[in-house]
Amino acid sequence: MAYSDKVIDHYNNPRNVGSLDKSSPEVGTGLVGAPECGDVMKLQIKVNRETQVIEEAKFKTFGCGSAIASSSLATEWVKGKTVDEALSIKNTDIVRELSLPPVKIHCSVLAEDAIRAAIRDWKTKQEQTASKPVETKA
Amino acid sequence: MRAAHFCESCGKVQPPAPTDYFSYFGLPRKLNIDTAQLEREFYRLSRKLHPDLYARASEQEQEWSTERSSLLNDAYRTLRDPVARTEYLLKLEGVQLEEQSKAATDRARESGGEKKQVVPPELLEEVFELNMQLQELKLSKQMGEAADERVVRDLTAAKQGFEARLSGLDQRLQQTWAAWDERSGQRHEGDAESRKALEAMVEVLNTRSYIRNLVRDVNAALEA
Ligand code: FES
Repeated sequence: MAYSDKVIDHYNNPRNVGSLDKSSPEVGTGLVGAPECGDVMKLQIKVNRETQVIEEAKFKTFGCGSAIASSSLATEWVKGKTVDEALSIKNTDIVRELSLPPVKIHCSVLAEDAIRAAIRDWKTKQEQTASKPVETKA
Repeated sequence: MRAAHFCESCGKVQPPAPTDYFSYFGLPRKLNIDTAQLEREFYRLSRKLHPDLYARASEQEQEWSTERSSLLNDAYRTLRDPVARTEYLLKLEGVQLEEQSKAATDRARESGGEKKQVVPPELLEEVFELNMQLQELKLSKQMGEAADERVVRDLTAAKQGFEARLSGLDQRLQQTWAAWDERSGQRHEGDAESRKALEAMVEVLNTRSYIRNLVRDVNAALEA
C-alpha cells in the first residue's frame, strides 16, 4: 500500500515522541488500543491550569505507519490549543490531512481516542484536586 | 445448498451469483468445518475452473470462470483460517467491529462522554510496557551491546506466558464456535443464544490481536 508523502514525513520525522510525568497533576495520559490490529498508542498532554492551554504533548505509538503519523500529527495539532478546542479534533480531519485510505481509518480513530482519553484523564485529576479538602495549618 | 458453479445439464460455467463463502462451498454457516474436506473441494473446483480449460470458450465464459476462480481463492483463504473464518461469520451476521468502534468515538465526541476501551486497561498497559522493553533491547543490540542476560531470560519467560494465553484464547474461541453451531438449524431471527455466541467471539478476538502481536514481537526480538 502506498503511504502519502505526509504520512511518510511524519513516520520518518515523528514530532513529539516521548513521555511526560504521568503522576504530575498537570499531565493527562491517554493509552488506547485498536483491537482490529492490536496496535497501541499513548498520548500525553501538559495543560496550564489557568489558561487551559495545552503547552506540551508527547506520544509513543507501537503500530503501523498511519498510526504513528496520526499520533504525531495529533500532538502537533493539540499543542497551543485549549482543551476544549482540542476536543473538537475529529478523526476525519486527520484522515483528510494525511490522505489515509479507507483501511487506515481506524488508525486515525485511535489518535482521536487518545486525545480524548488524555484530556479526560487530565480533567479527572483536576476534579480530584478541587474536591480535596484544603489543608489548613494550625 | 451448494452454489451452482456449473450448469447441471451442459456443465458450462455459470455467471457468479451473489453468494457467501460458506454456500460457495456448499457448507452450512457453521464454524467447525472439516478443513481436509474443504481443501479437497477447493482443489477439485480449482481444476475445473482452470483458465486452460476455457482457452477456447466464449469470452463470456472465460470471464465468468476467472471471476469464479478469484472468488474461490478468497473463499478458501478465508474459511481455512480459524480467525479469518470467525471474522467473516461476524461480518455476515452484521457485526461490524470497525464501524462500532468509529460510532463509539463519534458518540464520545458529541456527548463529551467517555469511549470505553473494549479491552481492560491493564492489558493495554502490559502491551505498552512490553513494547518499551522490546524497543530497548533492539536499541542496545543496534549499539552493538550484548543483550542483557536477565532481559533475555525475562523475555523468554514472558514469551511462554503469552503463548499459553494465546492457546487459551483459541480454546475459548472454539467454545464459542460450538455454542454457535449448536444453534444451527433452530436459529431464528434475533436468537438470544446465537447473539451471545457472537458477542463472545468478539470478546475473544478483541484480546487475541494484542496477544498475537506480543507473541510475534517477542519472538522477533529474541531471534534478532
Ligand atoms: S493498522 Fe491498526 S492502527 Fe494502523
